[in-house]
Amino acid sequence: MSRSSADNKVVLVVDDDSTNRMVLCALLKESGYLSLIAENGEEAVNIVDENHVDIILLDVMMPIMDGYQAAKIIKSRQINFIPIIFLTAMTDETALAKCIDSGGDDFLTKPFNHTLLNAKIDSMLRIAGLYKNIADQNIEIMEKNILVEQEMVVTKKLFEKIIHNDLRGDKTGLHYSMSPMSMFNGDLILAEKNQTSGFDVLIADFTGHGLSAAIGALPVSDVFHSMTQKCFSFTDMLAEANSKLIELLPTHMFMASGLISLDRSNNVLSVINAGLPAMYLYRDGQIVHTFKSKNIPLGISKLSSSQFEVEMQTLEYGDRLFAATDGIMEANNPHGEMFGLDRLLSIFEDNQHSETLFNDILSSCSEFCEGAEQTDDITLLEVCHLENIEYMSDKELVNEQRLASDWAIQFSLDIKSLRQFDVLPYIMQAVNQLQPLESGRTSVHTVLTEMFANALDHGVLKLDSSMKDTPQGYMDFYQEKQKRLESMDEGHIQISLRHELDGESGGRLSLHLMDSGDGYDYKNVDVDKNQYSGRGLKLVSSLCTQIKVLGKGNSVMAYYDWSNKD
Amino acid sequence: MSISINVSDDNKTATMKINGRFDFSLHNDFRKAYKDVSLSGGEYAVDLSATDYLDSSALGMLLLLKEHAESQGCSVKLTGFSDEIKEILTIASFDKIFALA
Repeated sequence: MSRSSADNKVVLVVDDDSTNRMVLCALLKESGYLSLIAENGEEAVNIVDENHVDIILLDVMMPIMDGYQAAKIIKSRQINFIPIIFLTAMTDETALAKCIDSGGDDFLTKPFNHTLLNAKIDSMLRIAGLYKNIADQNIEIMEKNILVEQEMVVTKKLFEKIIHNDLRGDKTGLHYSMSPMSMFNGDLILAEKNQTSGFDVLIADFTGHGLSAAIGALPVSDVFHSMTQKCFSFTDMLAEANSKLIELLPTHMFMASGLISLDRSNNVLSVINAGLPAMYLYRDGQIVHTFKSKNIPLGISKLSSSQFEVEMQTLEYGDRLFAATDGIMEANNPHGEMFGLDRLLSIFEDNQHSETLFNDILSSCSEFCEGAEQTDDITLLEVCHLENIEYMSDKELVNEQRLASDWAIQFSLDIKSLRQFDVLPYIMQAVNQLQPLESGRTSVHTVLTEMFANALDHGVLKLDSSMKDTPQGYMDFYQEKQKRLESMDEGHIQISLRHELDGESGGRLSLHLMDSGDGYDYKNVDVDKNQYSGRGLKLVSSLCTQIKVLGKGNSVMAYYDWSNKD
Repeated sequence: MSISINVSDDNKTATMKINGRFDFSLHNDFRKAYKDVSLSGGEYAVDLSATDYLDSSALGMLLLLKEHAESQGCSVKLTGFSDEIKEILTIASFDKIFALA
């Protein structure tokens, strides 16, 4: 009678007695097993080395090598579990115990009972099957672990690439700390200079870990760096990042984020908090403003750039903004307590020297945790508004050498174009393509941005810049700007740019902006350049060699000279 | 089981109640609880009155529930939450995408 469990299973019969071997082989054949034979222990060991064997029936007393020794050797060499059933005429307990001791899994006493033999083989093969499953799973787990480790390495590389643009330092006023593993937990900080010589910072916390978080971090970093460099507004940038994340991330994943923009030409801090814990603005020993989350985290629902709620605060030199992901507040100590908001706020209250605040927060948190392992990681960011800011060399921003040349371009923008999109980034891109201004790229951005803002706000939209004198007024000003931009039905701005070479390694860029506004009586304004209307033109005149107001005051000409001496 | 779901007789309201910590460990149970529920219009209510903690992965699970509900033309309402949980929901501006009551 052949049984399916016996199909193709190989039984090794080891016995020095040929009659015993014949009987066993006949019984096994009847049950459907294949059999191999060996006459002593040594032969058995060699057969197991060279053949596939599922189970061994092993006699004890044999010449050359007995069953005990053979069992020991086979068990010590085997990678897979091969059950050994001892065949013995002995019935004393010590001898049977010795069988098990030397590596046997069961024993069968002679003479053989066919049913019992089948039952023992079956049960042993079942156990061997379980062993094999576990062994296979272990191999699978090991392979998965290797894969996970490889992914960690890839993730780390990706993140290192993402965070390449490090503006940190005492000279920029940007400090941040991320605990070593936090990148695997999906925390991200990106920083990029903006056109006011300040910088924009994005601090973010992805739900999800490791590679899955990196999947989101890559496009976000791409969008952040490229759009900020091209002078797109940060709301446009966030809207773009948001739609990329919606496209890419599965429904349950999102990115809690905070965008902090330091505008150094107007001394204004703009904050968009989308799902992060409150950020604090600290001045003269106290918290003067709390930026609470007012936006949905990114990657959840479609938003246009105007739907982001931006909070603005005018800054004084020495002001510090603190932002963190939820790691600090949720840091646990060994007693199961959380660090929490109250402890954080008391550090602000007890603080004596604002310069040490950043480190105080980090050290209090780590003292509190008493070395307990953290489930989330600790990411803290500080932006200090310095009177003088100094970046490391701009050299890395220089693209391949392009030869300077003489050129001129002109744009005319009617009210519809002004309303519909932010044109400056496109113009700046064109200028960058045409002209390799070595060190002046940021400055030219600033000059053009300020002149354009001036022409639009005060020329076309006829807004009064004195409105911006108070923090509240600053916000009202932007609301009013949006309103007028949408309701106005005529107006235009003309931008003319001309570049002339000056020797081998320098030149003059002339920027001429004319708007449809009424202009102003510039002849009666003190010619001292600090008295030009608004902060914007003051900045322009400090960056340019010369600035002229023409016509009825609706036309401004600025000359920017550049040279590459090195 | 720390999650229970009750569907009203008219098949218009499904109420899910979450006991204890609402975090990643409930990922499968939470999804299993609503996955075979199909309402004929109406609303999914998540009762958080017995929930003592909620983390960001729970927020993610709520977004999945919202997706499930919206595919049936239903909305999601969150109810019974403590002040601490309300704070977490507000930080994530979930008051803008869920009905809070």
